[in-house]
Amino acid sequence: MASTAGEVRALLSSLRSAYAATPTKLKIIDLYVAYAICTALIQVIYMAIVGSFPFNAFLSGFLSSVGTAVLAVCLRMQVNPKNKEFKELPLERAFADFVLANLVLHLVIMNFLG
Amino acid sequence: METSMLQLLFVSSLLSLVPLSSCLSLSPLRSPHPRILVLLDDLALKSSHSSFFSSLSDRGYILDYKRASDPSLALKKFGEYFFDGLIVFSPTTEKFGGSVDAASIIDFVDSGRDLILAGDVGMSDVIRDIAYECGVDFEEEPDAVVLDHFNFVSAKSDIDHSLISADSFIASSVILGEAGIQAPVLFHGVAHSVPPANDMVIKVLTGSPTAYSANPRVHSKEPPTLTGSSVGLVSAIQARNNARVVIFGSLALFSNRYFTSPVKKHGGASSYEKSGNEQFVTELSKWVFHERGHLKAVNVHHHRIGETQEPSMYRITDNLEYSMEIYEWSVNGWLPYAGDDVQLQFYMMSPYVLKTLTHNGQGLYSTSFQVPDVYGVFQFKVEYNRLGYTSLSLSKQIPVRPFRHNDYERFIFAAYPYYSSCFSMMFGFFVFGLAFLYHK
Repeated sequence: MASTAGEVRALLSSLRSAYAATPTKLKIIDLYVAYAICTALIQVIYMAIVGSFPFNAFLSGFLSSVGTAVLAVCLRMQVNPKNKEFKELPLERAFADFVLANLVLHLVIMNFLG
Repeated sequence: METSMLQLLFVSSLLSLVPLSSCLSLSPLRSPHPRILVLLDDLALKSSHSSFFSSLSDRGYILDYKRASDPSLALKKFGEYFFDGLIVFSPTTEKFGGSVDAASIIDFVDSGRDLILAGDVGMSDVIRDIAYECGVDFEEEPDAVVLDHFNFVSAKSDIDHSLISADSFIASSVILGEAGIQAPVLFHGVAHSVPPANDMVIKVLTGSPTAYSANPRVHSKEPPTLTGSSVGLVSAIQARNNARVVIFGSLALFSNRYFTSPVKKHGGASSYEKSGNEQFVTELSKWVFHERGHLKAVNVHHHRIGETQEPSMYRITDNLEYSMEIYEWSVNGWLPYAGDDVQLQFYMMSPYVLKTLTHNGQGLYSTSFQVPDVYGVFQFKVEYNRLGYTSLSLSKQIPVRPFRHNDYERFIFAAYPYYSSCFSMMFGFFVFGLAFLYHK
């Protein structure tokens, strides 16, 4: 018992130290993703309490949060220098794709929001 | 000269614009002198039953007396009927003359015309067939009569106790008049039975609990099959096409002798100077020939409250109002009907709304309700079937639609969290973009 608790604590501390080594740019992206997921969770809890009456509004809000989270994750993957897959992709190109995708997403969201 | 002519023209044009009251604008139910064919076995019935016939002709009916075997008999020619009503007082006729037979009499009733049929002791199969088609089964045993050893009227000619006094009337003021029959009815004839599954036949006069149907000359080993209140003496049928038929088991019921006879039941305490036969027969003839109880529903309107035009479609949770007019035919024309139990159904496979219509005393029935929160194709249904009255069956189809996109309020209060989350995501994206680009 004590050993598993100790193992978990060791695991968490090694995670924290590894995470501290990530570049700040990626940490900003992670913060943004966490913010988006939090708003998505808040909306789901609200819908569970109140009911899904304007269902299109719920879908719109939920998908805007989840959509930006997904796009931010994509940006993080493309920007991460350790990622071999996107080695020759310039940072500006990745950010431009991110901005365009977000524009389309928010256009759709505003239309569906009613 | 010219000014007076102009004034006349002006006044007459004004008068033509004045709307007639709605009951006047309804066409009358029938001509004021309906023609009735009376089929008799023996023309002596004209004099022995003259009170009954004169009561009919005094009310404006034109009676045409013919022998039942007359070869020139015809009910219709080239599809047009000559008569509005038929009285068959020929119980022993085996075969009708001319083009009349059981089938043509049933066709007569099917066309919406009325029939009074009288059976009696020794009735023929033709009469039995006509009665059977109408839902009334006469007693099969040929010599059986209705006997009642407790409610008979003692007469020298009658030792079998087959001349009975009957007072088990149906309680219906439409059929038997407001006052009710004041004295028992004298009856001497054949019983009939009505199958219990038949719900269109009205048992107007039945036997007392001690009445039964049997042949008095034959000593039978089994108890009689028809006893008590299942012994039908007079039955009425209001057909689905609103034709009315009344079937009597006794022809003597209509005779002048029975009309004027006193009724003193054997061993009974009360005695009546005059039997109820005349009143009974008069009231029934009024009902049969539609002088009472014939309803007509007109002018069905529905609209949203606050509007006057009838829309082609309603929306859920609309408030609407429904109105209609019901009139009853009487000798003075169509009079407003005052009924407290006319109900309206808002029906789609089952009634979602069931409301009792209220009337204003002039025959205008109305109610208002809110359309239920279900969309589909509904019907405004009024089904009115009351004993002795013609049946009213109206239905008007109307679709009901759900809310359109712009029937909702512009910004729904319940969706404010979603609106705010969308805008916060957009704002967050903007802030993140700045942070990501300009971070050192």
